Amino acid sequence: MNDITKNIKTVMIIFLVLFIGLISYITYFEVFVGPKIVNNASNKRLWVQRNEVLRGTVYDRDMTALTESKRIDEDTQAREYTYGSLFAHAIGYVDIKYGITGLERKYDSELIYSSIKDNIMNFIKYRGELPEKVGNSIRTTLDYDVQKKAYDLLGSNRGAVVVLNPQTGEILALVSKPSYDPNSLDEDWEDINSNADMPLINRATAGLYPPGSTFKVITAASAIENISGIMDRTFEDNGKIVFNDNESLSNYGGEVLGDISFEGAFVHSSNVVFGTLGMELGNGKLKDTAEAFNFNADTPADGVTIENSVFPSFGFFEKGNIAQSAIGQSEVLATPMEMALVASTVANGGVMMKPYIVSQVMTSSGDTVKTIEPGQIRQVISADTASIIKDFMRKVVTDGTGTNAAVSGIEVCGKTGTADHAEGSEPHSWFIGFAPYDNPQVAVAVIVEEGGTGGGLAAKIAGQVMQAALSK
Amino acid sequence: MGADRDEKKLLKYIYLLCIVCFLNLTIIKQPVDSGAMVMAAVTCVMIGFSYFVIRRYFPEGDKHIFIFASVLSVIGIVMIYRLNMASSIKQIIWFAISVTGFILTVVILPDLKRFCNLRYLFLAGTVIFMGMATLIGTEINGSKNWVVIAGFSFQPSEFGKLFFVAYLASALKDYRNSFRELIEPAVVVMVCLGFMVLQKDLGSALIFFGISITMLYIATSKTKYVLTCFGLFAAGAMISYQLFDHVRLRVMIWQNPWPYANNQSYQVVQSMFSIASGGLTGTGLGLGHPEYVPINTSDFIFAAICEELGILTGFAIIIIYFLLFYRCMRAAVNAGDNFSRLLAVGFSAMVASQVIVIAGGVINMIPLTGITMPLVSYGGTSMLITFLALGVIQKISEEGR
Repeated sequence: MNDITKNIKTVMIIFLVLFIGLISYITYFEVFVGPKIVNNASNKRLWVQRNEVLRGTVYDRDMTALTESKRIDEDTQAREYTYGSLFAHAIGYVDIKYGITGLERKYDSELIYSSIKDNIMNFIKYRGELPEKVGNSIRTTLDYDVQKKAYDLLGSNRGAVVVLNPQTGEILALVSKPSYDPNSLDEDWEDINSNADMPLINRATAGLYPPGSTFKVITAASAIENISGIMDRTFEDNGKIVFNDNESLSNYGGEVLGDISFEGAFVHSSNVVFGTLGMELGNGKLKDTAEAFNFNADTPADGVTIENSVFPSFGFFEKGNIAQSAIGQSEVLATPMEMALVASTVANGGVMMKPYIVSQVMTSSGDTVKTIEPGQIRQVISADTASIIKDFMRKVVTDGTGTNAAVSGIEVCGKTGTADHAEGSEPHSWFIGFAPYDNPQVAVAVIVEEGGTGGGLAAKIAGQVMQAALSK
Repeated sequence: MGADRDEKKLLKYIYLLCIVCFLNLTIIKQPVDSGAMVMAAVTCVMIGFSYFVIRRYFPEGDKHIFIFASVLSVIGIVMIYRLNMASSIKQIIWFAISVTGFILTVVILPDLKRFCNLRYLFLAGTVIFMGMATLIGTEINGSKNWVVIAGFSFQPSEFGKLFFVAYLASALKDYRNSFRELIEPAVVVMVCLGFMVLQKDLGSALIFFGISITMLYIATSKTKYVLTCFGLFAAGAMISYQLFDHVRLRVMIWQNPWPYANNQSYQVVQSMFSIASGGLTGTGLGLGHPEYVPINTSDFIFAAICEELGILTGFAIIIIYFLLFYRCMRAAVNAGDNFSRLLAVGFSAMVASQVIVIAGGVINMIPLTGITMPLVSYGGTSMLITFLALGVIQKISEEGR
């Protein structure tokens, strides 16, 4: 034990290293882990903070209140959603037990921020008695009438409706069915979660469906921009493309369209012609166009989170898959929001606008805190291409598969889709479109799960929703 | 006399810390809580008096040990007062008892060398206290390491620690390069660790391991023994992982606490929220929400301190522990005989490893094991034992001069 001093030094150094390690880890925790976990829903501190201020109100575009917060006692306040399940997916919910979702989550910090000026004014007004602090309100771009119309028209079907203003990107309606009542989460929670139709999923922004023939808008755009002389060509549609012994592609219902122009093929939704065009373009070019429309990428948006739509990559020899992808089948998946953006891009001269759901943040006394301006995502296709497709889409409603979407007095444009998704079940019914033809004010995407042909149910809903939006 | 003045300066800072903290606690309450100022006065008087006694009668000893211990106790008492007033009054009583124990240890204890041959008495004490909870223990907070006798509950393993260190010191003091001499202590250590695992007190098991390995190295100077011990410990850990559910649970929570945030890993998740929401400088004393952290006055007091006083205070506490450790190890260097040296080293390692295990645990750096943070946490046994251990070191520091 003669080298005791040396040993003690060694032990001291080892413990010093351990202590420094401890301090370093705490620093690491504070810098990297801490910021990520403080907003976790299980952290009750946030709820205490939320409770200090009476949560602000969410309004629709005409300043109709969609929510109302009431103080129950010092530690609790109740959030009431005036229209129950109608706006459930558009607004989301805030509940100490079930967490916070949707717009409530995105604009949480605004809704619980109480304006200092208002507090001082109130303090003076009430002579020193400090009244309740009220959080900022938000004015959404949602339109009660359009939302209600879309919600009612979908009825008891599963599906989604997205309504946009193509010139600005404002979201006028965001409906997902089945819905749930955010006012009675406590009573319904088990039913909601055991329901096989999953009412909590926001199908409008997070539902990924094969887009079917609505995708032909993108294939057409790709063909116009990549294949010269396409407009003058005549195609021969014999009802079926055969790739090999067990793979082939037919028109819907086995229809044979015969000699047909590019426009005719679009208007009558020829799978044979568009499948052929897909093979002619190849996976690369078609994918480029799809990605210009934001497939395989995050879509910038304000107040909503949009799931990424998917366009797959195929080897040049996978002819069948390439042809299928050109008509929105195979592994192509799109959200209703994405398809509404496709329609609104065509309507807006090829420029895709950033979708947003909140136009204004206001203090409780009505002063504007912040205004959200429309923003462009990008010029997706040239104005000429957009104008050609616009004409095509007008013809779909006048002479083609989408006549059910026609509304008297309004020049509606659109494209139907009938998307196969599982062997033996009814196809999904799709319709994307916009109106009026001259100066489009509204763009829409409708999907009815297992709703049959796109020219049927979806087209009818889309037509009436657009009428409701334009009648204001 | 320069050192003397420095000590007095440090003492004044302790008074200041104590008064400022309690003043803060006084004014944040509606109506103003004057009780807090009484607490401040009592604490300051107690520290001042004890310091006076030590300096007056034992001017040769290392007074820094007491000073650092006081800082930590003050922080603890303040935080406990903010969290639970009743506990804090008990804690201050325990502080008084412990400081008395500290002084009495220094005063009454005869020359430590006299104890160096009581090896088998220490052995008996170790085994009795370590085994006690396994046989007649009560389960509190998931660990069966408490014993209730006549309404008075205590953790026997805390007392066991003192005997454990004393036993190892007397067993290893005459080590002369023979492996055989190590067999008996090794068996005792393994039995103790086994008892701790059975009592689900994994934190204490880690601490005993830390103590033994440090003392072994000091006594033998052989790295290969230390490595062998780590090997054995790893094997033991693997076996207990296979055998015991509670061990597996701790590891599972440590790897990813988030999926079980509302049940099994509730404690550590709440503790992490607490530390994360405090940030660098904390929310301010009395302004955070450490009440959401379970067992916040005892095992998780470090989280509560980090939340309200910031991780800077957390760092300060860790640094003070290291300074305390340093002063204690210094006493070992100057000690006159091997028994005293090993005793000092063992007790220093006890405090230091306890700090690492609990501070690392509440932040999920290592699997969380419920033990107290010495001197800071609420808990009479823990405080008394720590002060007694420090008293022995104080005694050793005096003998060395």
